[in-house]
Amino acid sequence: MKKVKVASVWCEGCSGCHMSFLDMDERLVELIKEGMELTATPITDLKIPEEGTDVGIIEGAVGTDHQVEDVKLFRERCKFIIAIGDCAVFGGIPTMRNYIPVKEVLNRGYIETESTVNGKIPTSNELGKLLPRVLAVNEVIKVDYYIPGCPPSADAIYYVIKELIEGRVPQLSGELLKYD
Amino acid sequence: MERIKIKFNGNEVEVDSGKTILDVANELGIHIPTLCNFEPLAPKGYCRMCVVEDRGALKASCVTPVAAGMEIQTDTPLVKEARYINLQLLFGERNHYCMYCESSGDCELQDLGYEFGLDHFDFPPYERKFLVDNSHKFLTIDHNRCILCRRCIRACSELAGHFVLGERDRGFNTMIIADVDVPLGESTCTSCGLCAQICPTGTIKDKRAAYLGKEVQSDIIPSTCDICPLGCGINVYRRSGSNFIIKVYGDWDSPINGGVLCKLGRYSVLYDERKRLLASKIRDDFGYRKIDFDGVLKIARSRIGDDAVAYVDGSLYNEELALIKKVFGNNVYSINPVEPPIPSSTDLSGLSKAEGYIVIGVDLNKDYGVVGSMIKRRVLGEEKAKLFVVDDGFNSLTSITENVFTFKDIEQAFDKAKGLKDVVVVFSALSDTIRDTLTKRGELKYLWLPFETNTIGLIKNGIKYEMKSGKNVFFFGKDHKKIRERFPEAFVICATPFEIEETEKIDLLIATKDGFEREGTFYNLEGKSLKRNKALESEYNVIDVIDLLSELSGKTKSEVI
Repeated sequence: MKKVKVASVWCEGCSGCHMSFLDMDERLVELIKEGMELTATPITDLKIPEEGTDVGIIEGAVGTDHQVEDVKLFRERCKFIIAIGDCAVFGGIPTMRNYIPVKEVLNRGYIETESTVNGKIPTSNELGKLLPRVLAVNEVIKVDYYIPGCPPSADAIYYVIKELIEGRVPQLSGELLKYD
Repeated sequence: MERIKIKFNGNEVEVDSGKTILDVANELGIHIPTLCNFEPLAPKGYCRMCVVEDRGALKASCVTPVAAGMEIQTDTPLVKEARYINLQLLFGERNHYCMYCESSGDCELQDLGYEFGLDHFDFPPYERKFLVDNSHKFLTIDHNRCILCRRCIRACSELAGHFVLGERDRGFNTMIIADVDVPLGESTCTSCGLCAQICPTGTIKDKRAAYLGKEVQSDIIPSTCDICPLGCGINVYRRSGSNFIIKVYGDWDSPINGGVLCKLGRYSVLYDERKRLLASKIRDDFGYRKIDFDGVLKIARSRIGDDAVAYVDGSLYNEELALIKKVFGNNVYSINPVEPPIPSSTDLSGLSKAEGYIVIGVDLNKDYGVVGSMIKRRVLGEEKAKLFVVDDGFNSLTSITENVFTFKDIEQAFDKAKGLKDVVVVFSALSDTIRDTLTKRGELKYLWLPFETNTIGLIKNGIKYEMKSGKNVFFFGKDHKKIRERFPEAFVICATPFEIEETEKIDLLIATKDGFEREGTFYNLEGKSLKRNKALESEYNVIDVIDLLSELSGKTKSEVI
């Protein structure tokens, strides 16, 4: 049986889509039996996708320069990219900051919050720098398939992966296609 | 009408020449997606979702009349692609991110997204930030959600006749505005709420209803508004499995109002802050104490006899009036005047055909909003009907006409209206002098607006406006203010839904159901019998007047009506 290597990454999102992924429950076992192999995912705690990964799943919008690198690496190493959840697909909740200049956002977050005393904006090079605008994944790389939803249901994720493993093109509709 | 032959999806069909392509498709049962088009409004072709292909050219089907030789295709790749890109542009222009929006689930744009399988945006959204106008008491306008379908503008003018909403600028900078671009709360808006009812997205929202529940979570109860004697058709949205009203919408199919409501019918009924009478009470030397249904019945029975009179007001339904007559015989009187100063000589269909209107002493925007809409849409719309207002005090209708007269100068109004063919005089109460002046004018048509909801029912039941005293005085209804004052010596029993001041010294207070808790029929101003359905269970320890009267008379309502 041919293995289908699946990697996933969690960018600017709440991890709800990965929760929904895990919410497939025993169907995860079924998919693994049918050939799905989880490689670099937050679930396996591996971060760098290997060369020749079949399916790359991206959760969350792209809000920092690090995330730009992450999704570009996924595009390079994965044959088929799925943007999963409203943030990855449309930009989602993180785009709320698009109407406010980055400096004001950071000030509000690290200095002006009511519970903060002597706050300062972190400057370590280890941390990603905020982009001027939060972007949907398809504004940075080419995306092959979209599963909108906040989060998408486990049924929708299961349906898409199952179709891909069996070599068909999934077509979301009805209860599986939801924007909220 | 000429019959012409066209081809529709390859099949030859014969159709009437005046129809649009969309009309024909609907008749043939062929689905064409629409967004800005809405049945009672004139089609405008703003949104372009309904494009079809005719011999290679794309045409908006809602505004294109059929013509001989047309070959319409509704499902070609060209049509599908055009509609899809159009939908992408609609989603991309402003903020149509469903997660933020309370209309998600009740949104026609979202429905189209699902229908077309739209699973991402092709154009970067959220580039521009728009105003959220929260200045209005009942409505909020979030311009970020607007798709510029102008349904609200068209409803505000074509249907409601208020002409408050409009647009400014052009193309993608177009904004929906109120009056001359003032906040909605400071505009001339009469709070009829039709814009919120007709908005396909989450742009214009009813503040109260927005967070209470969606349409799929509601039981929709068709009913009739009983605020004024017009009897507008309404749909009451009650949260499924709960006992509260989400919102009241006008019934688009009602022959009376056609979807339009006024502030009173749509909002005042839900924002009612009058204190309810929570339980029946009896007064003795120490003040009031609570009393149960059996106690109420015992006292009421002991007080009914030849020396008892009953007073009613126009808030009672026909079934209740019939039972009251069973109990009290002919000793039933109205607490308020019932007889028209001049009987109506026309009806609502006559009103909607007239060339001129003389409105005497009544502020239609305030008290009879939908009658106001019927007149205003003809005065301010294409029909250019003439409006004459005769009033001494403040009347908001004076802002839309130059022809304003005082009661003293009423003759001048008649002189000015002379050339017009079809003139309807609209009034409610009239002074004797004005009435006499009017009756001399035989050429005019009269439309009397009755004082209370079921005033016509009182007339039909032969209940007169008279002051007859008795040892025991019963009162049924809401307008109880004058009752103690008029009968200082009598034992007064009041069956009413609202709290009465202790100082009124009513002897027995019977707490009754009110508003959406009641059901029954009443006669509207045209004399049509209209049914009002129950939409709420009462949460208080209150009595249905029908039950009380059935007990007292020994008859059920089906036996008397």
